[in-house]
Amino acid sequence: MRTLVSGWRTALRSTLLGAVLAATALVVPDSSVHPTDVSLVRVRQATGVSADSRVIWILGVGSDARPGQDMNRARGDALQLVGINTETGAATAIGVPRDSWVDIPGHGHEKINSALYLGGPRTMAAAMTGLTGIQPDYVMVTRFPFFEDMIDSIGGITVTNPRPFADPYLKKAGFRQGRIRLGGYDAMAFSRIRKGLVGGDFDRSANQQRTLRGIHARIRARAAEPGFIERGVLTVLQHTHTDAGPAELFEIAQAVAQVRPDRITTCVVRGRIGWVGPASVVFPDVAQARRLGDEARADATLRGC
Amino acid sequence: MFSPAAGHRRSPGVLTSLVVCLLVAALLSGCSRESAGTGPATPRADSARAADARGSSVTLAAAPVRTRAGFHRVHGRLPDARRKPVRRQVAAVVERWWQAAYLGGTYPRTGFRDAFPGFTRGARAQARRDVRLMSNRDIGGRVDSVTQEAGEVRLDVLAVGGRAHAVTARFRLRFSTTGRAARTTVVRGRLLLTRRHGPWRVFGYDVSKGGRA
Repeated sequence: MRTLVSGWRTALRSTLLGAVLAATALVVPDSSVHPTDVSLVRVRQATGVSADSRVIWILGVGSDARPGQDMNRARGDALQLVGINTETGAATAIGVPRDSWVDIPGHGHEKINSALYLGGPRTMAAAMTGLTGIQPDYVMVTRFPFFEDMIDSIGGITVTNPRPFADPYLKKAGFRQGRIRLGGYDAMAFSRIRKGLVGGDFDRSANQQRTLRGIHARIRARAAEPGFIERGVLTVLQHTHTDAGPAELFEIAQAVAQVRPDRITTCVVRGRIGWVGPASVVFPDVAQARRLGDEARADATLRGC
Repeated sequence: MFSPAAGHRRSPGVLTSLVVCLLVAALLSGCSRESAGTGPATPRADSARAADARGSSVTLAAAPVRTRAGFHRVHGRLPDARRKPVRRQVAAVVERWWQAAYLGGTYPRTGFRDAFPGFTRGARAQARRDVRLMSNRDIGGRVDSVTQEAGEVRLDVLAVGGRAHAVTARFRLRFSTTGRAARTTVVRGRLLLTRRHGPWRVFGYDVSKGGRA
């Protein structure tokens, strides 16, 4: 048979998205107890979103909540604003250093990672909107242990590491340069380590984006397996506190799966290290953050960084 | 777990109409040129005319090809009583698209703007951009008739709270065409459907189409 044409299209009618992080996330071993390991909060109401909205924006937040602590009232340790263009398969991630000194609506200037602690996911979304000009459609908060399980459940990921680094506490043996395979724990360490990186928080945010690429590649590779997405959504639902319904999550997961790797663009918001009283902070380049937001808002594509 | 579906013999055109007429003529009293020359007459329609002509019911057309629809797997809990409606409703959405995009209409055919019933607005807009893949737009003007030869739909269902919320419908459709673009075509792939507040709607697809002359 001569194949004439082939195509893959996902067109979401409305709503938005979920999380590249765990979202699609898949096949975590089932258990009889399902703690809330992920929180997916719809920021915009469905009725407030254009039916033709073609870009879904998800703010992925890695909470540093300790066991037993409400992860929506802890600090946001990893912050990635992810956009997915459901028409073109493009996607972008704008990373923000967690120590960025920004205005948190209702709370004055604070480090952006405290927005979650001070006001929860919607306040974190508002702080991100103030910095980038993009209002996320969803905020997805996850705990790192769940993140590790999720990585393991999809069989690990592969990332391209630009330079070797290590951490005496999280990864004493360190990560070598080049294409490396990461299981759940290593993916967590790769995404969290800061001290061994020359660029500190900025390099760490870039590593988180490499992790996202690795997760996406794995999901995309398996998305056509019968039942893969359905099982993933079920698992996420079992571990997620969300006001998004199953159909909505399914659409989000499919949107993630159809992103084309060659159309992913990423950037970390620059900034200047400084002090506010005794606290070391990052003064973000607000002009750059706004420019990135303006570039990516309509089509989830960055032209530069 | 297969369900019958609507008949899919389509657009036999002049040749088939003549064959039907000859059969009818052999049994009855004749066949007019009017019936042979009008539009996309189907065997069913011709049979009906034949039945009307002699005042009784008889089926002369070949049995319509049945689309086989069944579950691959239900993910989550969905009571048996709710499974059959899901299978029937989703299969109907898939078949409506097949009819509108490939099997139905009057050939030669160049209009495919309405080829995507049951698609969300966004998916419909995307499908119109992929219209040569998602319909017979690429060959419609050179086709005299289309006949379905096989059709199969397999469903993976996402069920939560005893209700089906999303379905991946894997399908395979085979049909033959006559005319200058005579060939056998196979369309296969996945349709992604969700149901929120109304009927099942296609919000995405992953489709390939191949032909052999």
